[in-house]
Amino acid sequence: MTPAVAVFVYASITALATGLGALPFAFVKEISNRSISYANAIASGLMLGASFGLVVEGSEYGRLQTILGANLGVAFILLTQRLLRRHPIEFGSFQGSGARQMLLVMVVMTVHSISEGVAVGAAFGGGMKLAFVITAAIAVHNIPEGLAISAVLRPKGVSVAACAGWSVVSSLPQPIMAVPAFLFIESFRPALPYGIGFAAGAMVFMVLVELLPEAYDRGSKHATALIVCLTLVAMMLFQQTL
Amino acid sequence: MDPVLLLLACATGAALTAPLGVLPLKSKRATPLRWVGWANALAAGFMLGNGIVLAEAGLAYPPLLGATGGLLGVMFVFWTHVVSGTVDLDLNQLQNTAPDYGYRILLVGTLHSAAEGIAIGVAMLHSVPLGVATAVTFAIHNIPEGTILGAVLIPKGVSRRHAAGLAAATNAGQVFLAVTTYAVLQALPMAIPVGVGFAFGSLVYLAMSELLPQAYHQAGTTAIALVASIAMGIVVLLGGTNL
Repeated sequence: MTPAVAVFVYASITALATGLGALPFAFVKEISNRSISYANAIASGLMLGASFGLVVEGSEYGRLQTILGANLGVAFILLTQRLLRRHPIEFGSFQGSGARQMLLVMVVMTVHSISEGVAVGAAFGGGMKLAFVITAAIAVHNIPEGLAISAVLRPKGVSVAACAGWSVVSSLPQPIMAVPAFLFIESFRPALPYGIGFAAGAMVFMVLVELLPEAYDRGSKHATALIVCLTLVAMMLFQQTL
Repeated sequence: MDPVLLLLACATGAALTAPLGVLPLKSKRATPLRWVGWANALAAGFMLGNGIVLAEAGLAYPPLLGATGGLLGVMFVFWTHVVSGTVDLDLNQLQNTAPDYGYRILLVGTLHSAAEGIAIGVAMLHSVPLGVATAVTFAIHNIPEGTILGAVLIPKGVSRRHAAGLAAATNAGQVFLAVTTYAVLQALPMAIPVGVGFAFGSLVYLAMSELLPQAYHQAGTTAIALVASIAMGIVVLLGGTNL
C-alpha cells in the first residue's frame, strides 16, 4: 500500500466513524444535551492532546516554521468560519424551516470537514508512526459530529440508517482532501514543519471555536473542563508510549 | 540573577498588576467587559501553553504521582468556587450582586492566588523562561480579576483606592507560595511530579472552566484565535526541556 493510498484508507475510516454517531439513536429516541456535551469534551481533549503533540514534533523540524504554520492554520479556520457565516443567508429561502435547518447543518459540517481533511493529510506528513493515533483521534472526534448531525435529522423523521449515511457524507471531504494535502507535504519536505503547524493550528482552533462552546452550552463548564484535562493528558501519554 | 530572587521579583510583579484592573472602572460607567474578555483570552492562551509544557515535562515521571497532583490541582480550583459560592459568576450581573458577594469575590481571589503561586514556583523549577512566562500569565490574569473585584466592590460603596488595595492584598499570598513551593520542591525532589501535576491541573482547568467560557461571551472568535496562537507559540518556544 503506497502512503497516498494508506492516507486515503485511514481518512475513509475516520469518515465512516462519523456514521457511528447515528448509532445511539437506534436505542433511544432522544439523546440528552449532557451526553453530547461530554462527547464534545472528550473529542476536544483528545484533539488538543494530539495537536500539541504535533506542535512539539513540528518544532523539532523548525520552531519558527511551526509557529508560522500554526498561525496559518488558525487563520484558515477563521476564514472558513467567516465564509460559512454568510452561507446561511443564501440558504435561508431555499425550503421550509425544518429542511433549511437540516441543509444548514449538512453544509456546515461538510465544509468544515474539508479543513479537517487538510489537517488530517498534513498530519500524516509527520510520518506513519502517528497514523493510528491521528486516525483514532479524528475518528473519535467524528463520532460526536455524526451525533450532532443525527440529533438534528432524526427528530425530523429521518431514519437511523439515513442519519448514519448523511453523517458519513458530511465527512467525505476528509479522504478526498487528505490525499492532496499529504502529497503536497511529502514532496516538499522543507515545508513539513509548516504543514504540521498548520494541522495543529487548524485542529486547536477548531476545537476551541466549534467543539468547546457547544460542550459549555449543552453541559456544565466544570464537567467539560475536567473531561478536557483528563483526555488531554491521556492523549499525550498515549502518544508518548506509542 | 539567582533563580530564587528572580522568582521573588516575578511573583511580586505578577501580584502587583491586580490593582491596575481597577483603573478603567468609573463609578457610573458599565464594566468594560469586552476588555475583560480579551484579557481573559490572552491569559487562557498563556495558561494552556504553560500547562502543556508542564504536562510534557511531567510525562517523564511515574504517571500516578503526576495524575494525583493533577487531580489535586483541578479539585483545588473547583473547591475555591464551591467554598466561596462563586461557581456561577455572571459577568453581566456584576453591578447588582447580593450584599455578601464582595466577601465571596475577595475569598475566591485569595484562594486562586494560592494555586497561582504554586504554579509559578513549579514553573520556575522547570526552567527560568517557563517561570517568567507563568508569572507573566498571572500578571495578565490578575488585571481582569482586579477589574471584576472592583466592579463588584465599588457599587457597594468601596472607594477605588481601597478596591485597588484589596486587589493587591488578595494576590499577596502568591508571592509567599511561589517561593515556598520552589524551596520545598528543591528540598524534596520526590514531590516534584505531584507539584508539576498540580500546576498543570490548576492552569488548564482554570483556563477551560473560567477564562475560555468568559472569553467566548465577552470577546468573540478573534480573541479565541489569539488563545490558540499564544498557546502553540509557548509550546514551541518553551517546550522540549525536562525538569
